[in-house]
Amino acid sequence: MSATSLGRGASPSFALPLARHRGLLVALAVFVVLLTVTDLVSGGRVSYFQVSFLSSGGATLAIAAIGETLVVISGGFDLSVGAVISLVNVVLATSMRDNPESMMAWSMAGVGIGIVAGLFNAFFIAVMRLQSIVVTLATMFIVQGITLLAMDKPGGAIPPTLSTLIVGDAVPGFVPMPIVILAAFIVLWLYIKSTRFGTAIYAVGSDAEASRSTGIHVSWIQFGVYVLAGACYGLAGVFVSAQTGAGDPLIGNPMLLQVFTAIVVGGTQLGGGRGGPAGSIVGAYVLMMVVNILLVLNVSAYYSTLAEGVILFLAVLSGSLGREAPLARHVREIIARLRAWNRGMLPRQLGGANRRLAFVGKSAEAAAPVHPPFWARHRESLRYALPAYICFLVVILATQYVYDSALFSWQYYESLIVLSSFLAILALGQGAVILTGGLDLSLPWSIALCGVLLAGMVKGSDAALAYALPLVLLAGCVIGLVNGLGVVFLGLSPIVATLATNGILQALALLYSNGTPDGFASPSLRWFMTGHILGTTPVVPFVAAFVVVAAFTLSRTPFGRRIYGIGNGERVAALSGITVGRTLVLVYVLSGFCAALVGSLLTGFSGQASLGMGDEYLLPSIAVVVVGGTLITGGRGDYLGMLGGVLLLTALQTLLAGTTLPYATRAIIFGLVILGAVVALREKN
Amino acid sequence: MRPWSSLVKATVAAAMVFGLCGQSGPAAAAEKKYDVYLSMSYIGNDWQAEAANMVKAMAAQKDFANKVNLQVQVAGPNAQRQIQQINAMVEAGAKAIVVYPISPTALNGVVKNACARGVTIIAYDSEITEPCAYNVSIDQEEAGRVTAEWLVKKLNGKGNIVVITGVPGTSVDTLRTKAAKEVFAKHPNIKIVAEAVGMWSQAVARTELSKILATHNWDQIDGLWMQVGCYTANSMQIEAGRKEADLKPCAGEGANGGRIQMLPISTQVEGANGTYRPMGAPRISYASPPYSGALALKLAVEKLQGKQIPKLTKLPLPIVTNETIKLCKEGSWAEMKAGCNAFLPSLVPNPGWFASIFSAQTPEVGFQAALVGQPES
Repeated sequence: MSATSLGRGASPSFALPLARHRGLLVALAVFVVLLTVTDLVSGGRVSYFQVSFLSSGGATLAIAAIGETLVVISGGFDLSVGAVISLVNVVLATSMRDNPESMMAWSMAGVGIGIVAGLFNAFFIAVMRLQSIVVTLATMFIVQGITLLAMDKPGGAIPPTLSTLIVGDAVPGFVPMPIVILAAFIVLWLYIKSTRFGTAIYAVGSDAEASRSTGIHVSWIQFGVYVLAGACYGLAGVFVSAQTGAGDPLIGNPMLLQVFTAIVVGGTQLGGGRGGPAGSIVGAYVLMMVVNILLVLNVSAYYSTLAEGVILFLAVLSGSLGREAPLARHVREIIARLRAWNRGMLPRQLGGANRRLAFVGKSAEAAAPVHPPFWARHRESLRYALPAYICFLVVILATQYVYDSALFSWQYYESLIVLSSFLAILALGQGAVILTGGLDLSLPWSIALCGVLLAGMVKGSDAALAYALPLVLLAGCVIGLVNGLGVVFLGLSPIVATLATNGILQALALLYSNGTPDGFASPSLRWFMTGHILGTTPVVPFVAAFVVVAAFTLSRTPFGRRIYGIGNGERVAALSGITVGRTLVLVYVLSGFCAALVGSLLTGFSGQASLGMGDEYLLPSIAVVVVGGTLITGGRGDYLGMLGGVLLLTALQTLLAGTTLPYATRAIIFGLVILGAVVALREKN
Repeated sequence: MRPWSSLVKATVAAAMVFGLCGQSGPAAAAEKKYDVYLSMSYIGNDWQAEAANMVKAMAAQKDFANKVNLQVQVAGPNAQRQIQQINAMVEAGAKAIVVYPISPTALNGVVKNACARGVTIIAYDSEITEPCAYNVSIDQEEAGRVTAEWLVKKLNGKGNIVVITGVPGTSVDTLRTKAAKEVFAKHPNIKIVAEAVGMWSQAVARTELSKILATHNWDQIDGLWMQVGCYTANSMQIEAGRKEADLKPCAGEGANGGRIQMLPISTQVEGANGTYRPMGAPRISYASPPYSGALALKLAVEKLQGKQIPKLTKLPLPIVTNETIKLCKEGSWAEMKAGCNAFLPSLVPNPGWFASIFSAQTPEVGFQAALVGQPES
């Protein structure tokens, strides 16, 4: 993580600069290869028109990715990017008139809106010191709400003059305007990078504590980063307006994942301290070129997400091959172990005495009986977990006030538990992954594929359920295994590995179901989710048991301890004897298992499986974990806290669902409550 | 350098993967075939898959088989990518492009450009507002109005209703919901007690209804207006132990599951199971019909052959009520023409499958087209 901040002086050879920019160079190479393949297969020369069109089509994504890259380098996440783009787009589409003054003023206003959103993020992240991923998640909901209040359906118009100005030609027939603007961005970035501010961004992202110690004002650096990023999103919004010529309140939302993909393809590592916006620009254009590649190679529709997953995978994999990369290291390790085994030199083959370090004398035992009181032992956990529960109580009271029936109604709590069951289970898997410092983005299609598989095998027969359920849970474990191996042995960033898996799983689900999943849950599975036993739904006691097991697993077993160890520092964990690789793989397997379980339960709940059924669970699964007091970078948090997050979120949604408030207002309330919950989590310092 | 050699390998591997996946585009197609492209937005739901099947079936029918060279591509949910895709299709020499537009407005620029190069652009289900594009769709406001009026009449102008909408921010959802609410507003005794976003998904409808029922119970609800989810609402009432005769009137989607539930309770149907069975549910069932893509393709080819086609093809709103519901035996186009509109669960195991597949204008595609992409023989 520290490579970039070191050795800024002249290097003896070209090797170092090349190595330092490897991410960018690989991305560039992938782009050139894609362009060449497109050109060769389509059998024509790439015309200026095509280049110009591509440059304007990818510009929005590229500019948004530049802003997000700054945030990522500084060690943060910004989920508000897509929402801000949509807001700027609808504001411009409703307000801009076809005269130079109006266009100038509203373009500036667009950037201004981005800056305001950036300031909002910056205040909570830099000044209040809240976790960036939750703050920006809240901002995302609030901004989406405001956008829908401003424009409830696509419409409005952007003067075509704006379009010719900023997505047209800079030099007619030679240089398209977006290229000029992006080049200006790169020059600007090179300048920023050479300033103290630029160096400080990398320093903060590499190690915030260390850079604070060296006298860097971390808060101000973060503040500046989020505001600059906001300005970029604003400009991206202006660009998309010019490109499309109209307003659409949903235009930016699907860009969120693509922005992160572009950044990772461009060689910037999530987690901070490495990379640069130039790579992200190339990454953005690689993603646009994929569309052309799929077309010229005539990849059929069902395979397109598969092909995209593979391209994403290869683009980052080629960057992580080499002698010092994890794959090579692991291969060397395995070879070394095999050799040692062959010679009979492995520790267990040598046999002999227990080589564990012995505790010296009886002092360890003598110290043990001193038990601090419960409050003192769990003070930290309680402080992080309680805010979610307190907010949960407030929401229940509000529900009682609005509907006059919640507090003392078993029906209310029962529905709440049934609805919470999905997130409560996902929270264990996603939570464990987050505790190790990763993220599992393959949940949506893991859930859907497992549900579709289960329904397809069961076809309404209880007898089939007996073998289908274990098989599906096993499939979930295999999905997790693939993720885990990608992360551990190929050294891929968890986001990339799981995102690629998600695309591949989507294709598998489509191919298996041929686009329309058949089959349905068996009577007993349906009964489990919707029937009644002893005055309650059968899933309710199951969730209770699951919670006990999950809390125990994370806090009391060696496996759980290893997870926290890894999250607090992989290197330290490895040196203190934790089998990091094996534990990480197991964590992803656990997440896959949980996703499969949720897919099965959802199938029982709905009576059948549908393809998009996992889509609604990705962001909430992350939100509940973080709202429950877990640190997104890993190492801190516990399952009961996450459960508090699950209950809070579900209760809030239940409260809002029963009203007639418009969706836009609900989104804003939802965002504010998430923000309120994390403000309560704030570190007092 | 090592990384480069590995990169080359990786690229070769990628090329091989694609070589296997793609059906290796035959550059040397038979002469006089029209290159027609289908640009879909998203394929992760029943409706889209069914619509794509019907387009493919239309392209495969015997009149078109040696006239049309259809290539299907998916853009995903992002409008920028669909813009890029449409442009790539124009560059690849498309004569016509059939589009399921992600956004009614965002594609205008690229569509205008395509028109200027002589490419016919025809959108189905959702609209493209650029004037040079052709559109095939239903009147969304009419859909909202007619279904709301039915519900008001069924409730005799008085009662508490639950409203489940579609995807917020889309034209289709906004127009339907607004038109329906205008109808409800005219009847002061109709009270909307809860409203939730259903995302046009049975699964989401169930979680949202469950949330609503945590604070309300069925006795406080007299009727439902849902864009998708009546099948689920009826299932939930049965699961809650309510009788078939007491099911609440529901205005909603044209899923086959819901159509089967509308049949009189005594009807014998093969393959019925769970709540996917006749129960005499009081319903009005409407849909954006999934044949619109196939019709769009047919119109596009007619246009290429020199015929005039209308800028806007307004599809008749397919409405089915308890009075008009009729079970199909096989689902041939001829049988549907005679008035059947629901399909046996043994043939359609997925209750979320859309049953509004009949159009007088598309005798080439019937039940097998929607199910597996086979044209009528």
